[in-house]
Amino acid sequence: MLRKEYKKYFDVLEISPDASLSQIKSAYLRLKRLYSAESVVISPIADEFPYKRRQKILKQIEGAYTALISLSYHGQHKSSYRGESLTSKGGSEDKKEKSTPFSGPVLRQIRKERGIGLYEVALDTKIRVELIENIELERFEVLPQEVYLKGHISVYANYLLLDPKKAADDYIKKYREWKSKIEEE
Amino acid sequence: MEKTGVRKNKEGEIWAIGGGKGGTGKTFITSSMGTYLARKGKRIVLIDIDIGGANLHSFLGISRPKKSLSFFFEKGVPLSKLALKTGIGNMYLISGDIHSLASDSIKFTQKLKLFRHILKLNKQYVLIDLGGGSHNNTIDTFLIADKMIAVLEPEIIAIENMYHFIKNSLFRKLKMSLRSYGFKEIVEHMWESREKYKINNLNELIECLKNSFSYIGDILDEELSKFKIYLILNKVRSSQDIIIGSSIKSIFMKYLGLETQFVGYLEYDDAIWRSIRERRPFMVNYGTSRSAKEIETFTENILQGSEIKHSRN
Ligand SMILES: Nc1ncnc2c1ncn2[C@@H]1O[C@H](COP(=O)(O)OP(=O)(O)OP(=O)(O)O)[C@@H](O)[C@H]1O
Ligand SMILES: [Mg+2]
Repeated sequence: MLRKEYKKYFDVLEISPDASLSQIKSAYLRLKRLYSAESVVISPIADEFPYKRRQKILKQIEGAYTALISLSYHGQHKSSYRGESLTSKGGSEDKKEKSTPFSGPVLRQIRKERGIGLYEVALDTKIRVELIENIELERFEVLPQEVYLKGHISVYANYLLLDPKKAADDYIKKYREWKSKIEEE
Repeated sequence: MEKTGVRKNKEGEIWAIGGGKGGTGKTFITSSMGTYLARKGKRIVLIDIDIGGANLHSFLGISRPKKSLSFFFEKGVPLSKLALKTGIGNMYLISGDIHSLASDSIKFTQKLKLFRHILKLNKQYVLIDLGGGSHNNTIDTFLIADKMIAVLEPEIIAIENMYHFIKNSLFRKLKMSLRSYGFKEIVEHMWESREKYKINNLNELIECLKNSFSYIGDILDEELSKFKIYLILNKVRSSQDIIIGSSIKSIFMKYLGLETQFVGYLEYDDAIWRSIRERRPFMVNYGTSRSAKEIETFTENILQGSEIKHSRN
């Protein structure tokens, strides 16, 4: 399932899913140059395809690159929350994943590492920006009811290429701890 | 103008060679692809539809044909009777002339009749040389093809003209298909009131149509996914030039959502004009040259629907 999610990053970089690390890098550099600078292929349509529009594309390119690079460094990379690697068929990662519980700040950090903006998440997942931010900053008091929250977390985690079930479970666990503490008071 | 259904025989294809700017090498490339395919054993009909500038015969070293498409329009002579021998086995030429598809001298019904007859040319590869410009007749002919081929030079005016040509083609295609689904005026209406809808270009028009009418969105997505351009880069002088092909492919996809097959390039080669002066088909006279190999490569890629290798780095 996760592999399919990566496909969109390869599509953004216009390479096939079996591309090597160096192909990923050169595709990224080529596209970045193409959409950031004026050139013979851009200037004829610069008025209808201005830098502002191209910036959106550049962001997707950055995001795809970040995601794919961190993926290929998987294994030696310090993080252990990345789920299935490109080469392994998964399974071996389970243990590692258990050792790093997901939380709001962890989700936020992963999102930033992958170069994805809050608005991008909102656009793609249809979750409101404020809600994503509240989830990340663990503003438990303004979060929706647990059933809904759980749904949102798994959608969001899935979007970040993470294990949606584990992310939701970890997060809800923390949420419940907060709730019972409140109720005690 | 629906192309599927009419041509039941899948053995042949219609290729249209256009691209907007004059002088990019469309006619030379049409004649060379035809020659290559004919010598490979395919049955080829070349149709020269270039308004006013019909000159395909010169690239094959034959003299200006006496019979031309105006016989079809004016006297009802069938296309098969207008097909002339080219000196290359398996390959025939139907020549155009100033009267054949000139902007205003041809009526809409005549145009449709020509298209119907082209679509009936079965079991062969029909290569249509469109000439330059973005006239509606040119674009409509481009759109009947199974494979729409654009020839480009790595130079800013050619690029600009090609964007124009492709956007116009797409706009017409979308209009035609929405009309066939019964949404006759929607596209025109939106475009005409584009100020109100804050539409500045084709991309925004497509977005706006999709957002306003979800059922139209599906049709548009379907049409966009079928609209595929085969891109040939001609008169290439450096490896920097070749990157332009990949760049345009990327822009078409990311900006308009169009799939482009960058099928290959042809270097600038003085032997090409020399072969015209010698009045011999280039692929016969210089068949072993590097440029001839480049022509073979992109022709094969078009045939097989594949792309240039290593185009991305
Ligand atoms: N790769 C090439 N290297 C050198 N010369 C070339 C090359 N391709 C085409 N030419 C030359 O460029 C000129 C224009 O070519 P051609 O007539 O095929 O262009 P065209 O696109 O059909 O033009 P038009 O739009 O006027 O019909 C010709 O003189 C031809 O010999
Ligand atoms: Mg020509």
